[in-house]
Amino acid sequence: METNPQDSPSTTGAAREEAIFNAAKTLPKADRAAYLATACGAETELRQRIELLLESHEQAGDFLQPQPAAAGSAPTLVVSPSALEKPGDFIGHYKIRELLGEGGCGAVYVAEQTEPVRRKVALKVIKLGMDTRNVMARFEAERQALAMMDHPNIARVFDAGATETGRPYFVMELVRGIKITDYCDQNNLSTAQRLELFIQVCHAVQHAHQKGIIHRDLKPSNILVTLHDGVPVPKVIDFGIAKATEGRLSDLTVYTELHQFIGTPAYMSPEQAEMSGLDIDTRGDIYSLGVLLYELLTGRTPFDPQELIRSGLDQMRRTIREEEPVRPSTRLSTLMEADLTALARRHGAEPPKLIHLVRGDLDWIVMKALEKDRTRRFATANALAADTERFLKNEPVEARPPSSVYKLQKMLRRNKPAFAAAAAVIGALVVGLGLSLYLYTKERAALRKEKEAVRRAQDAEQQQVLLREQAEKGLAIERKAREMSSVGNQLTTAGFLMSQGLFDRAEELMKEVTPIIPQSASIYYALGARHFGNGELKAAITNFTTSVRVDPTNHFWYHYLAPVLVLADENDQYQKLREQILNQFKGTSDPAVAERMAKDCLILAPPAADLETLGRMADVAVSAGPTNKDYPYYQFVKGFAEYRQDHPAASVGWLQSVIAQGGNVARMVEAYAVLSMAQLKQQHTNDARESLAAAQELAGNRLERSEVSNWNDRIIAKELIKEAAAQLDSLQQAAPVSK
Amino acid sequence: MSEVTQILQAIEKGDSAAADQFLPLVYSELRKLAACKMANEPPGQTLQPTALVHEAWLRLGGGDGQLWTGRAHFFGAAAEAMRRILIENARRRKALRHGGGQQRLDIQEVEVAAPAEDEQLLQIDDALGRFSLLDQKKAELVKLRYFIGMTIEESAQTLGISEATAKRWWEYARAWLHAEVIAQHRNK
Repeated sequence: METNPQDSPSTTGAAREEAIFNAAKTLPKADRAAYLATACGAETELRQRIELLLESHEQAGDFLQPQPAAAGSAPTLVVSPSALEKPGDFIGHYKIRELLGEGGCGAVYVAEQTEPVRRKVALKVIKLGMDTRNVMARFEAERQALAMMDHPNIARVFDAGATETGRPYFVMELVRGIKITDYCDQNNLSTAQRLELFIQVCHAVQHAHQKGIIHRDLKPSNILVTLHDGVPVPKVIDFGIAKATEGRLSDLTVYTELHQFIGTPAYMSPEQAEMSGLDIDTRGDIYSLGVLLYELLTGRTPFDPQELIRSGLDQMRRTIREEEPVRPSTRLSTLMEADLTALARRHGAEPPKLIHLVRGDLDWIVMKALEKDRTRRFATANALAADTERFLKNEPVEARPPSSVYKLQKMLRRNKPAFAAAAAVIGALVVGLGLSLYLYTKERAALRKEKEAVRRAQDAEQQQVLLREQAEKGLAIERKAREMSSVGNQLTTAGFLMSQGLFDRAEELMKEVTPIIPQSASIYYALGARHFGNGELKAAITNFTTSVRVDPTNHFWYHYLAPVLVLADENDQYQKLREQILNQFKGTSDPAVAERMAKDCLILAPPAADLETLGRMADVAVSAGPTNKDYPYYQFVKGFAEYRQDHPAASVGWLQSVIAQGGNVARMVEAYAVLSMAQLKQQHTNDARESLAAAQELAGNRLERSEVSNWNDRIIAKELIKEAAAQLDSLQQAAPVSK
Repeated sequence: MSEVTQILQAIEKGDSAAADQFLPLVYSELRKLAACKMANEPPGQTLQPTALVHEAWLRLGGGDGQLWTGRAHFFGAAAEAMRRILIENARRRKALRHGGGQQRLDIQEVEVAAPAEDEQLLQIDDALGRFSLLDQKKAELVKLRYFIGMTIEESAQTLGISEATAKRWWEYARAWLHAEVIAQHRNK
């Protein structure tokens, strides 16, 4: 049998390899094997090649990335050792004892205070290049507040001043500890123990916030753990210092001071990354706490700090402001196995258990703290601590996965209302993924059947003939199977593109999809819904029409196309669609199908010849009986049909029953609108006017906010209001009614 | 009007001979500029390709109202020129190390910061040559990124593609080249 992979139609080997590679790398690692099995089918060579590329992709690391160290020609900013203070030197009242550390911001010393009390303090001297007067002024402004801070988990700030060379310095409580992340890892702290420490940090930050102090530079190196009688105590240092030295974040200085600025971009909140320098509040600290929690759980920050630095200032800001970090559990599950094992060992847990523990509640807690929009974060550090405690006590946490509507909104990047296509996009993805395998196996099964027949043939000569026939058929089937699986790949890619919000590219791709198969309908539907959401009716109609064309036996697609045609005033197309619907579905015995299809045909008054058929379909719908949970829908379509059949009294009866049951807003609006028209036909003008008013009020108040999925019903509801209002209007113009 | 501007306009009009002149011109401009900068810098400094290329562009009048396509042509040529300079340097150093000490070259070596060690640079360039036969466009992107240090955003603008596309191309090309370089290593 011919099994040359080059047979695949329409895509060249390299383009196909690239498409599958692109799709696979967006998947979690665990799902890739299954996807590749589906996408590559029996083409083992292609599959091996893509596996190699994926492995390469994972391992590429710094490959081809310019090294940050290569930025050699930038003026060097490191303060040379000679400019540093030496032990024995005095700064103010403080005698330098030893260098504790050097950071982007300056040097920290252990110093001895002689008066008014004798004690050891930490003394931080800020690097040259800052405007000392401004720094001091800002510090003075906060000194009162800083003095009021008194918390066991906060290192106190005692004093500030300027050295003889004019550099600002700060005097703080001396904390001899190690970075919280290092402490946790060196002592193999369990996840629960890490969370306990984290909660203490939150409480410290809350205390400061209550005194009106924002830290602005929370990061592991500013949270040190010391042991008190063997109990680890985290201490937050440097409160008030970032504020005093904030000048360094302004746009002008940032370039020349790039090195110190980029010391901690990984912990910087989106609003700080804006660097407008004006509007930073306590919620910036909440974000940094979220990053800390992320790192405590996964050993990594949401964005790779090296990557951030390498990407340059603008890209870095954009990443922090716009890119969604992956969830902690997802991050864990995409770690290389060796890394995960090592990480899990540092948490004193088995890898699968660790992932399981983090997935869900902890994910949501972290992601809520990391929201780009600060109004969606935890309002206070205490709220973050409280939710973490709830997790530890196995109580339900308050942070919740974002609703599907919210996620859809995010996905569409604020592009217009979001009644589009959440379900359909997900559907398209699932369909696409499963499709190639399904199609392939289906055609293969046909082939197997043929082979069975050969095996069962008794006569040897008959077998020969059959075999020859089968060989020919087999080739054709094999070719078709390949063709089908290639369509499946295209659909998968389109689904992925849409899930990434890349609708235009998905649409381009879908224009080329051949052959036509029903499984692609959901993708055309999703594309149409997206256009509809953007108010592009023509493009919406094109796509919805295609979904009907490729999958004509599924009533679902008609149900979206019909209302949009009415909305766009495409009356000829609508009439044609009605004929098509009636041909296809007039004999249906499924109440739900009968209801939807009849309703779609009734939106505009149908020709008299069709009324009988539509009445029968409405009967099929109500035959479901009152025990059916969708019965009010069926009653509505029956009342609607009665109205179009010019039986106003019967219509009023059905519709009043629908209204009495309440429920779905669109259905209520529709029922009131048709009721109004039926009452008008009975010449109950005042009742008609009241019913229309009820329809309009409901529509005005609640329709837009009602269930996102029923947008087609909302169109119908509005169209019916228009029709009822027009009828009342024309009546009034013809003969003004006296009260 | 500078020579570069003239040539760019000729290229715009579809003059293919002009396109052939363009690369050598950019190449020599870059060399000249680098040599001039070297003379004014303290010894031991290396020049950053990104800075060098952008400065060359500005000096050639690229800042004032150049056609967009002209810009794309320039940076495309500059990436290729920079690649040649870097590869020449790497090859020369390699030759010197392998006992070719007597073959002194009269061209002064331009100390441009290379993105990798000589050996790796040559391997990558080899692989890139093969890749460009397969996919010219993506190879262009790699040159812009790798040899003149453009960001995804800049290179997307230069090539006239979306950032998302550039990022996707980049990841594919990088995986491809990485796999190729690793395979070369194994075969040694």
